[in-house]
Amino acid sequence: MRQRSLVSVVDDDESVRESLPDLLRQLGFVSQAFSSAEAFLASEVVSETSCLILDIAMPGMSGPDLQQELIRRRLKIPIVFITANGDKAVRPRLLAQGAVECLFKPFSEAALLDALNAALGVP
Amino acid sequence: MDAARQYSADLLRESERNSRLLVDSIPGLVALLTAAGEVEFANRQILEYTGRTLKELKQWGTNDTVHPDDLPHVIRAFAQSIASGSPYEILQRFRRSDGAYLWFQNNGFPLRDASGRIVRWCVLLTDIDERKHAEDALRESERESRLIVDSIPGFVAVFTPGGEVEFVNRPILEYFGKTLEELKHWGTGGMTHPEDLPRVAELFTHSIVSGDPFEFEVRARRFDGVYRWFQSRGFPLRDTNGQIVRWYNLLIDIDERKRAEQELRRSEARKTAILDSALECIVTIDHEGCITEFNPAAERTFGYRQDEVLGRQLADVIIPPALRARHRQGFARYLATGEARVLGRRIEMTAVRADGSEFPTELAITRIPLDGPPSFTGYMRDITERKRSEEELRRSEAFLAEGQQLSRVGSFSWRVATDEITWSEQLYRIFEIDRDVRVTFEVIGTRVHPEDLSGFTEQIERSRRDGSDVQLEIRLQMPDRTVKYVHIVAHCRDDSGQREYIGAVQDVTRRRRSEEALAKVRSELAYVSRATSLGVLTASIAHEINQPLAGIITNASTCLRMLGADPPDVDGARETARRTIRDGNRAADVMTRLRALFSKKEFSLESVDLNEATREVIALSLSDLRRHRVILQAELADDLPIITGDRIQLQQVILNLLRNASDAMAGVDDRPRHLLIGTEREGEDRVRVVVRDAGVGIDRQGMDKLFDAFYTTKSGGMGIGLFVSRSIVESHQGRLWAEPNDGPGATFSFSIPRAPATVTYPALAGNTKV
Repeated sequence: MRQRSLVSVVDDDESVRESLPDLLRQLGFVSQAFSSAEAFLASEVVSETSCLILDIAMPGMSGPDLQQELIRRRLKIPIVFITANGDKAVRPRLLAQGAVECLFKPFSEAALLDALNAALGVP
Repeated sequence: MDAARQYSADLLRESERNSRLLVDSIPGLVALLTAAGEVEFANRQILEYTGRTLKELKQWGTNDTVHPDDLPHVIRAFAQSIASGSPYEILQRFRRSDGAYLWFQNNGFPLRDASGRIVRWCVLLTDIDERKHAEDALRESERESRLIVDSIPGFVAVFTPGGEVEFVNRPILEYFGKTLEELKHWGTGGMTHPEDLPRVAELFTHSIVSGDPFEFEVRARRFDGVYRWFQSRGFPLRDTNGQIVRWYNLLIDIDERKRAEQELRRSEARKTAILDSALECIVTIDHEGCITEFNPAAERTFGYRQDEVLGRQLADVIIPPALRARHRQGFARYLATGEARVLGRRIEMTAVRADGSEFPTELAITRIPLDGPPSFTGYMRDITERKRSEEELRRSEAFLAEGQQLSRVGSFSWRVATDEITWSEQLYRIFEIDRDVRVTFEVIGTRVHPEDLSGFTEQIERSRRDGSDVQLEIRLQMPDRTVKYVHIVAHCRDDSGQREYIGAVQDVTRRRRSEEALAKVRSELAYVSRATSLGVLTASIAHEINQPLAGIITNASTCLRMLGADPPDVDGARETARRTIRDGNRAADVMTRLRALFSKKEFSLESVDLNEATREVIALSLSDLRRHRVILQAELADDLPIITGDRIQLQQVILNLLRNASDAMAGVDDRPRHLLIGTEREGEDRVRVVVRDAGVGIDRQGMDKLFDAFYTTKSGGMGIGLFVSRSIVESHQGRLWAEPNDGPGATFSFSIPRAPATVTYPALAGNTKV
């Protein structure tokens, strides 16, 4: 079932949008990248997304904003936050608000896999 | 019948003869004339008096019987009377037998018959010569007395018993410049002063009615309109029956006296007023030391009423018992020898009030310059108050001197016209000049630092010319070559054409020294600021580095997986490896920029493309701005010239402005956090960088403080960012300023010349060489 899961990536950094979907596909996921929260919300894949890998700081709607918007829309998509900011203090706050994980860039493949497994309910 | 007629005629003749006898026997001169006026009979007395015959007497109209001077008048009156039949009375002179003419009263009256026809005229000549002479003599004497009256310098007027002016002497006519006729209307003719007229008229009328003499003083108007005072006295002249026949009025000019009296009265009134209203106590004593005057101020001050002290010894009244003996001695000495120790001088002594309390007084005694035994006036003033204010003045002067010494401020005045300079004590101390030295510009010049002397002299000359305010800081050099910094402020005031500068000189040496110390601190602060910026940037740096690192690691993982697949995806692996290299380079770029920003310590000039520099700052700040959800818009001018400056420092300024703008919008949630950064050309030779935010804005009141060190509106900031930024911009001879936007937020701008002529960097003076 994991091979069919759609993992959407939302990040304004182009190198992440280039590299991360390729790795996810190597790991057997279907992946699609968006440069902003607004673009993701406007797409057709919102309801099909099994897991969302979401950058925190973005111009316009931020990662946490998108999280709140999804809660408001009653869309329970597991979210793995990623951030280049070294401030570790954000993590517990995000987890408390329902995020599955918060990864600090650069993160390892193993850490990514652990987070995805947790998100998708794979033991 | 004839016989009867004859008898009758005889009888008549007999009767006529008897009548003539009768007439002859009258002791007067009698003549009978015909109805036509011809002399028919003259009695013996006439014939004897004139020594003429009846025949000659009949010719009186043509001989010298009547005095030739009287003749025309006598003929005219006589003829008229004869013609009209009415009696006459003529005064005339008749010639006596010895040739002398005597005065007679000639009365003629007609004798009529039963039918009323005039049959004769009877003439009676009465000798009035003596009376006539007496009258003439009287007239002559009157004329003479008038002459006398006219020539006396007094004014004499004669009134009829009814009060009408009958005669005035010449001095009166001349004084009033009026005719006798005009003077008759003295009551209405404006000759008497209007204020006096009612009173005078009443007195005069009363006297005329009652016959009592009058006497009053009255102002009479001279011909030139001047009123002078006269004493007017009137006496009635009575005849033997006691009947008033005339009033004699004597007017005496008493103007001088009157004026002197008035002057005296005024002077008395003035003296009384002065005595009464004087604030000083005025006490007069006679030669025995007894009080003769004690004015109200003295009453108030000493607590006695004048009537209580008049006649008492001054010493007993106001001099404290302890001093009385000395006072008496001094007074006695003066009277005996004329030696005065207190006369004409101001002395201070203790006086005593009625209630026994003593107080300090100032006293001046003068001798009243009058003949006779000496008398004295003493002027006394309660100086308790003055003593107190003197004490207060002394104290406040001491305060001022103390204050000046403590604050190191000296004050001065300079009268421009005379170059008269007055210094406060502290000023002598600041200049280290002896108090006894007279202060001149020359003396001051010896203390002014040689390098500042020309500037100082220029300022003096300018002030002398235009009276403008002075604000000047110069250095003084003391004889031991120590240097003092002084700040001079002075304001010119024009006191009725006398220009005078009043000013203060503050010794700011200590402040100057602390400023220098502060400058050092500032340069250290600038370093701290950079360090702070560094700290602030750490997050950005981490972000900038972490982004490409994330790409590198992800790509490397992908690459490994592609190579490990069966079959290996070599093309995919090659692509991801290429991306890995690209991201690695990207991280290296970040490092290069950071090194450029933080490795340099020295201030150096180089050609700077401000657009490029701004872009670099934007690149460094972008993630941070993004994190704060700031929407950045850059408007960089295409035609911006290359400038000369310190690139890193200018970038610090831009970075600082961007950070401030971002912070200002941190709490803004009701509108987009728009941030505009722009560069633009300003004229030919300047460029400008503008940073506009939509944040909380700045209020105009806080504007001045914005650029002060440690002024901050942020809870977490140190408040040195703008202060350092301004220092940097000013070292480029530029200007940094802030202004509130029309809408929300504020705009900070700086403008610098393309190439500064020289670059100074006072804030970082310690390590800057240009």
